[in-house]
Amino acid sequence: MQKFKVTFLPDHLTITAEKDSSILTAAISAGIYLNSNCAGDGTCGGCKVIVNQGQVKSQPNGIITAQEKKNNLYLACLTAIQSDLEILIPDSSRMDKDIQTDNLGGDATIEPGDTLGKNFGLCFDIGTTTISGQLVNLNSKKILGTKTAYNRQAAFGSDVITRIVYAAKTGGLEKLHNALSGTMNQIIRELVSEHKVDLNAVNCIVCSGNTTMMHLLLSLDPAHIRRQPYVPPANFPSVLRAAEAGIQISPQGLLSCVPGVSGYLGGDAIAGVLSSGIYQKEETCILIDIGTNGEIVLGNRDFLVACAGSAGPAFEGSGVTSGMRASSGAIQKVSINKNDFSVKYSTIQDKIPRGICGSGYIDLLSEMLTSGIIDKSGKIKVTGKRIRSSDNGREFVVCFKEEIRAQADIVINEADIENLKRSKGAIYSACAILVKHLALEFSAISKIFIAGGFGTYLDIEKAIRIGLLPDLERSKFIFIGNSSLAGSREILLSSQAQAMAEALALKITYFELSMDSDYMEEYSQALFFPHTDLTKFPTVKF
Amino acid sequence: METQLVLEKWPGVVSTVVIGAKKEAGGSRGNTVTIGGQNSLPLLFKEGAIPHKPIIAFEIWDIAPQDWPDELISAYGKAINDPLAWAEKCVNEFKAELLCVKMQGTHPDFGNKSPEKAAKFISLLLSKVRVPLIIIGSGDDAKDNLILPACSEAARGERCLIGCAVQDNYKTLVASVLADGHSIIAESPIDINIAKQLNILISDMGLSLERIVINPTIGALGYGLEYAYSIMERARLAALSGDKTLASPFICFIGQEAWKSKEARVSVEQGIIWEALTATSLIQSGTDLLIMRHPQAAQKVNNYIENLFKDKE
Repeated sequence: MQKFKVTFLPDHLTITAEKDSSILTAAISAGIYLNSNCAGDGTCGGCKVIVNQGQVKSQPNGIITAQEKKNNLYLACLTAIQSDLEILIPDSSRMDKDIQTDNLGGDATIEPGDTLGKNFGLCFDIGTTTISGQLVNLNSKKILGTKTAYNRQAAFGSDVITRIVYAAKTGGLEKLHNALSGTMNQIIRELVSEHKVDLNAVNCIVCSGNTTMMHLLLSLDPAHIRRQPYVPPANFPSVLRAAEAGIQISPQGLLSCVPGVSGYLGGDAIAGVLSSGIYQKEETCILIDIGTNGEIVLGNRDFLVACAGSAGPAFEGSGVTSGMRASSGAIQKVSINKNDFSVKYSTIQDKIPRGICGSGYIDLLSEMLTSGIIDKSGKIKVTGKRIRSSDNGREFVVCFKEEIRAQADIVINEADIENLKRSKGAIYSACAILVKHLALEFSAISKIFIAGGFGTYLDIEKAIRIGLLPDLERSKFIFIGNSSLAGSREILLSSQAQAMAEALALKITYFELSMDSDYMEEYSQALFFPHTDLTKFPTVKF
Repeated sequence: METQLVLEKWPGVVSTVVIGAKKEAGGSRGNTVTIGGQNSLPLLFKEGAIPHKPIIAFEIWDIAPQDWPDELISAYGKAINDPLAWAEKCVNEFKAELLCVKMQGTHPDFGNKSPEKAAKFISLLLSKVRVPLIIIGSGDDAKDNLILPACSEAARGERCLIGCAVQDNYKTLVASVLADGHSIIAESPIDINIAKQLNILISDMGLSLERIVINPTIGALGYGLEYAYSIMERARLAALSGDKTLASPFICFIGQEAWKSKEARVSVEQGIIWEALTATSLIQSGTDLLIMRHPQAAQKVNNYIENLFKDKE
């Protein structure tokens, strides 16, 4: 197959394209996004480009006028490359990189050459706070890379309810959708450029996320999720062209969402059940996904019951003073000397600390309790050179800025602790209430799968000490990382997994905590370290 | 056939708190007051031990009260303008077994008395009257942290009950009470969980659970009394079921709440009834210490208690 050099102006980007491929696909390969509302059908006229030099073959269409033709204007989607080209892209044809709403793609175009060897897919975990994407080689089933970013929707509120409220404002849904697809597209661009994969070879994407995120991705009105009887417009979204959801992969690429159960129990929980395998277990297990919209699933191969405990983003490093995602430079392990309160820590990839991630906060709280820096209500009760007052109550300095050569100290203050306390209380009480409503005891649970964006490390012992997890035999706990991402990858690679996900979504019984009168009581009891009822944590002593 | 009532037996006991120390215990009080020790729900004498009666403490201030209604002030006559005379009147004339002195005059908005003056007042009061004392701060956290340690020190050895410790401000008070041999009032905002948490926090500092009295916060009749009632009931049920962290006696500020109500200010009789009704209702939910304002209301409630406990001790 003949290849030609195509240069795009004014970007001065040159790529190699195959003969007969369209200018539009070449532009996408170069990372340039053109307006293409009709997804390459040649009807919208959004992707007009000027061919300065070279030979092209254009399909007839009613869009380009005679005058325009004289000026060498062509529709990028319907124009095939015949030689080396120099192409000028007018500003009017260029899609705004950040605000990405329009569709992309081509319909029924025949790709030149043999592209069978190039077959890639993406899986995504779309969280309220954090979004993770993974690039997978569909032929070898190898994971090429994973990227994580904060959901840009955070600018419109930190929890799903405020997002739903925002979506009801004029233009709100569109803004939320753009923020989400923008975050995803950025992750995709980084993944493909890092692994030198042509975007045209990325053929499908599977997304799992909570119900609200799925609605916002698909630009569906989420208003009914928060209204009684809390029934979402779509639990089983059909497969659609990724471009229709504003996601930039191959123009023909497909996007599928993992089905959900209800308004507050989405595909991420189903993906978690799938990847943890609790639906196959004989003994009763519990899956705890520690996220902003923390999902808990309890059951075995015979039954599954689930609830969602809104925990807030603190354990994802958001909404806390020095919080950050579990990425390079995040403090994830902490120990504090009882005598002088000096701090030892380790960071992800052993980089200079930039902040504290969820597992770091769990360690930090546990160490502050053990060393007597905070009391069981989370108030700082000692003095010392690391302790000072701040606008948000007293604060403890984890790293002084001088030692880490940064603009600001890394700190934890009483408001942060309060925030973390509420998060851990929400997770624990959601578990407790689910267990209680099935007339079980925690001791009847044989395995506890812990999921969440904690990177690679989570100290179960310390998570129990702060009262985040129930006080059970430590050997029962299994940390499985991002179970939602793992589950969506399984679906990406296997149609059987897809069928199982659909079956699970129909099988799981959803338990609505907001309608439960005992939940508030359980929750208030959990707002203490480890718990107001100390008999529930018999092995925890400070 | 006569119906047999089912008698419940409880594994837990409410802790016993003694207020006041006589000479042999290192103090100078003429009497002491003992509360708590129940092994049964309130007034169910057949189910378990109820060794001590609810006790009424007269509320006095270290300054002449500004916002008390005339119906209430007139009960004390001129004595109300002199805190020491007021205290003596309560003891001598109204036979108070216990006084609760609120250090309102230390509040930044009500005279802003210094810690030294507050301490001096407590010393004087202790020399004028021989009944045990409950000492209450003005409610201004920052100021209370200065004056209550001074009062605690001035009353060292007298085994007073001092308050109120709250969740956001308890450390200073616990440290003083611990050092000077008093007991503490732990206040929670009609919230059983916070009551329990505060008790744990206080006992974590080394003050034993047997030296804590819970102020559950109450509302007067018609002003949320039943909320307070059910919170107290739940706490007591937990205590009797064996939860030591909630097994503290209750103190209820009856007068303060009852005289806030519009109804209490309609007439003297109405006010007295309002205060007495609030008090007798909360006796049903297990209060051990009643802080009251009007002597006639106190008299009515005292008669009621005497009748209840007649032949039961």
